Amino acid sequence: LKKLITLTVNGVTHELAVEPRRTLLEVVREDLGLTGSKKGCGIGDCGACTMLVDGVATFSCLMLAIQADGCNVETVESLAENGKLNKLQQSFVDVGAIQCGYCTPGMLMMATELLRRNPHPEEKEIRLALSGNLCRCTGYQKIVEAIKAVAGE
Amino acid sequence: MILPRFDVLVPGSIDEACAMLKQYAAKGVRILAGGTDLLVDLRRPIVPAEISTCGGCASHKSAGVRSTIDCGWWEGDSSPESDRALLTKVQDSNWKYPQYLISIHKIKELRGIEVDGKGNLRVAAMTTITDIERSDVIRENWTALAEGADFLGSPLVRNRGTIGGNIANARPAADSFIPSVALGGVLDIRSEKGSRKVAVDSFATGPGKTVLGKGEIITSIEFPAPPEFSGSAYYKLANRKSLEISNVGVAVWVALENPDGPVSDIRVALGAVGPTPILAESVKKVLIGKKADDANIKQAAKAARDDARPIDDHRGSAWYRSMMVELVTDRLIRLAVRRSGGEV
Repeated sequence: LKKLITLTVNGVTHELAVEPRRTLLEVVREDLGLTGSKKGCGIGDCGACTMLVDGVATFSCLMLAIQADGCNVETVESLAENGKLNKLQQSFVDVGAIQCGYCTPGMLMMATELLRRNPHPEEKEIRLALSGNLCRCTGYQKIVEAIKAVAGE
Repeated sequence: MILPRFDVLVPGSIDEACAMLKQYAAKGVRILAGGTDLLVDLRRPIVPAEISTCGGCASHKSAGVRSTIDCGWWEGDSSPESDRALLTKVQDSNWKYPQYLISIHKIKELRGIEVDGKGNLRVAAMTTITDIERSDVIRENWTALAEGADFLGSPLVRNRGTIGGNIANARPAADSFIPSVALGGVLDIRSEKGSRKVAVDSFATGPGKTVLGKGEIITSIEFPAPPEFSGSAYYKLANRKSLEISNVGVAVWVALENPDGPVSDIRVALGAVGPTPILAESVKKVLIGKKADDANIKQAAKAARDDARPIDDHRGSAWYRSMMVELVTDRLIRLAVRRSGGEV
């Protein structure tokens, strides 16, 4: 019952045989071993699993891998450049935007999409963009500050 | 928890999708659009519609929403163990949840926003809520729909969720459904037998229930061109700004004869205060042909309140919702009138 799909993840193209019911998140974490993206709620409430699919921020827990056939997927692992944290990641570290860290991959991907669309967002645009990503440490203020620090440059 | 076992079919055209709907009807089939509702519901088999019985359960012989919780198949909080047990139970039983999902993401004609020569708007069913939110032409001419898109779910839900899916799910609070009722939207529905049109205001028959028959698929929703001196607005009263279901949602569309003149037409749609979105017919009687002044608007808002049929639930009491229908309708009629060029 498995189906063949082609997934480009972080620039590498994979041919995979997947069961139709498996989500993009499951396939990326379990088959490709990219465990940066987290599973929080599994029902599209928390945003911890956010990936960019053809550039669009997407709940990978609510997208079947089959639906991503032929798509270009970016995960948090794609952000570091030559083994070094990128500006956004470094800013999260510098500002202290990471507490337990579970929401961080989703926050980073959401912020990445926002900054591509709008390199200099205002604070309210940052808050709006993050409004579907939950941080249960409630460290929102520092997350917003970390993104603002990059957006202000 | 993993999803139950099903196969996914990926049609390349609407005709192919209709043929698949018919072919697999007996085995249980659902259309998968954005997946933000369906893939959530499938994790607990609470999937209505094409499923005719829930398999060996005496309490659910009739049609309608079948909840495993109601049947006692699933009790208490979930855990991996209980979920696996449920899954085995469901798969070993003759439970009929959909065995086939038809994912319509590859059908190009199901996506896009078009305005024809006469100024009418056509939004294809798989157009995402984000696309609607970012459409300047919709925000300018069908403002309530753009504002509904602003309020729906969260950015991530809007990126995947579609207007066709939001309407097909027929939740009484659906944030793109309520404005579509006020704006006089008409659904284009296709099946192997051909196509038919259904007004959005008569599409839902109950929570999650619609006039959509077996083998039918929503392909687009059309909105008439806005007349001169008309305007619309939507507001969702809710406890949070994001990822929330409204206590009360109100959409208003109003047309004036001229900026100082009487109301020539008005449509007020109410969400979360009845089993379906409600078109408040009594508002028309109060306001059409009359000037949209303070006294008349107050009376119209009271009429909307009388049309609402709210219930008590954890989001608010029926009493509170009634009050809020009146308040929000009052404010929104004023806003829509100002957007129409009038003063109030």
